[in-house]
Amino acid sequence: MNEVQYRPAASVAGAPVALSCTGIERVFGGLRALKGVSLDVRQGEILGLVGPNGSGKTTMVNVITGFYPPNAGKVSLFGEDITALKPHRVAARGVARTFQNLALFKGMSVLDNILIGRHTHMKPSALGALFYWWWAEREELAHRRVVEEMIEFMQLQDIRDEPVEVIPLGLQKRVELARALVAEPRLLILDEPMAGMNQEEKEYIARFILDAREARGVTTLIIEHHMDVVTSICDRVVVLSYGEVISEGEPQAAISHPSVVSAYLGERAAKRHQAGSAA
Amino acid sequence: MFYRRAGIRHTRYQDERQLFPLGFDRGLIIAVIAILLAAPFLFDRLYVSGYLLPWLIWTSAALGLNLLMGWSGQIHLGYGAVMGIGAYGSVHLVRLGVPLEIAMIAGGLLSATIGTMFGGAALRMKGIYLAMATLAMQYVVDFVISHSSVISGGSLATLQVPAVRFLGIPLQGDLPTYYLAFGVCFVITLFMLNVRRTSFGRALAALREKDYAAQILGISTFRYKLLAFWVSSFIGGVVGSVLAVTYLRAISPDQFHIELSIQILAMIIVGGLGSVLGPFFGTALILFAPILLNNLLGFTAGTLGWSLPIDLRAHLPLMAYGALVIGFLLYEPLGLAKIYANFRNYLLVWPFRHAQR
Repeated sequence: MNEVQYRPAASVAGAPVALSCTGIERVFGGLRALKGVSLDVRQGEILGLVGPNGSGKTTMVNVITGFYPPNAGKVSLFGEDITALKPHRVAARGVARTFQNLALFKGMSVLDNILIGRHTHMKPSALGALFYWWWAEREELAHRRVVEEMIEFMQLQDIRDEPVEVIPLGLQKRVELARALVAEPRLLILDEPMAGMNQEEKEYIARFILDAREARGVTTLIIEHHMDVVTSICDRVVVLSYGEVISEGEPQAAISHPSVVSAYLGERAAKRHQAGSAA
Repeated sequence: MFYRRAGIRHTRYQDERQLFPLGFDRGLIIAVIAILLAAPFLFDRLYVSGYLLPWLIWTSAALGLNLLMGWSGQIHLGYGAVMGIGAYGSVHLVRLGVPLEIAMIAGGLLSATIGTMFGGAALRMKGIYLAMATLAMQYVVDFVISHSSVISGGSLATLQVPAVRFLGIPLQGDLPTYYLAFGVCFVITLFMLNVRRTSFGRALAALREKDYAAQILGISTFRYKLLAFWVSSFIGGVVGSVLAVTYLRAISPDQFHIELSIQILAMIIVGGLGSVLGPFFGTALILFAPILLNNLLGFTAGTLGWSLPIDLRAHLPLMAYGALVIGFLLYEPLGLAKIYANFRNYLLVWPFRHAQR
């Protein structure tokens, strides 16, 4: 695999905005999970969305992908308003995502799981299945080729026929990423792609995310708790706490902001941290 | 042993994606089809029209229900009613002089339309609640059929199927009826096999496993749930008309009661949810196990000189049959198809014991 150059934020600063969220509010009963969150993802950028547990990161992603329509605010994708669209319509506009807890389809092979990722590019029909040899076969094979390229890209060749539930977690995460990428998304949303992984698996996934950006120009929004990963692959970071953006900008600067330190570690630690950096 | 994966090297995706990549499987299927085609000439009349014909018809119905329950994961307790709609619809059309080919399709379309209307409940309900909604469909349809004399021909009336032709051949005698049922079963089986390897089938399976993940991959739950109900009900309607024309020949409302729904449900549970082979096994077991057990009991009682009370004699096979269904649910929830698959896997990896797939 080629060495991928780390691209500093400056190179995407002038790029057009891919995803723009303005003033997103979301309420669950009496809980205000998101209190007017605004964030932009620029084209070709890897944006990290971090924050302590329960800060609204996944809620934010669910609002963007249409699972929770926002109570207020606007989501637009490449200038098109996609606020409160149904998830399958959001997917049709070129958004793919992975889930925090794996959402693979059990009982199907790795290959079939990745093939489902091509759904938006295919024309499924019952009649096509009935007249398979005259109708569906050509389409199936064409998409099979695309999927095989992705299998090669993600290095899943030797497990492509395994049932997806028997392969190890690290590979399952990789299959899910492959399924999202094979849809050729314009915006890729990864919800904790490295949760529960060891160092080696983390490095693999980080490499795939960077490669996907290099080779396919995918814009990526990534939720992640591993700060070492966030600071090394993200161009910019947005920090959420209690449903509000508390810091934003270059990864190192954004996460060492005093409000972020106090959100994670408490007021006293923040003071200590400030004293430490002053000294 | 018989099965060998070694030495099979696919060079094209077509070959790898064919229905039966292993040579032995292909041979087996061809042998079974050949036996079924030759059955009217090989076996006694009684066996063909008394056993094979209902087996093919009930299997077709079970395959249709399996599309809905096994593939897309939606419970349906009113499949008998769906078949009833198709049967009544097509028989009425045939009596009006419509050719059978068109009447069958029309019966299917009628079932699909009404079935999808009730299936709409699936958009708002899941699991046990959907089961209740489809059960309601069973009773509503039963009620409407038996209480409107326009449909049933009056209370307690049976509706005779007139002499009909299929593609110019009069459907009289055992041969044409058997081959019609065989043809329909063959087409439905082929359809189900192909569904499994197309985007349509994958979308249904995705819906069954995790509907939220399916949605963000672009699969509309609304569309595919209704589509699953539509296709499954269409198959049910067509099979209902085949059942009426080839097997029952005179239909009455009680033939499509809840018993039929439960019977078909039991067939796919015992056979294997989400399997194409399963309904074939399941139907054979559910249809013939009571008869077999009865004969077995009669034989044992005869040779051992027991004198069983007549009602015990009648109920014992049913009890054994009930125990069989419970046993399957407990010990092999994936049904007879899974047992067959395990056996096949054992042969595939023989002489080694390791069989993951």
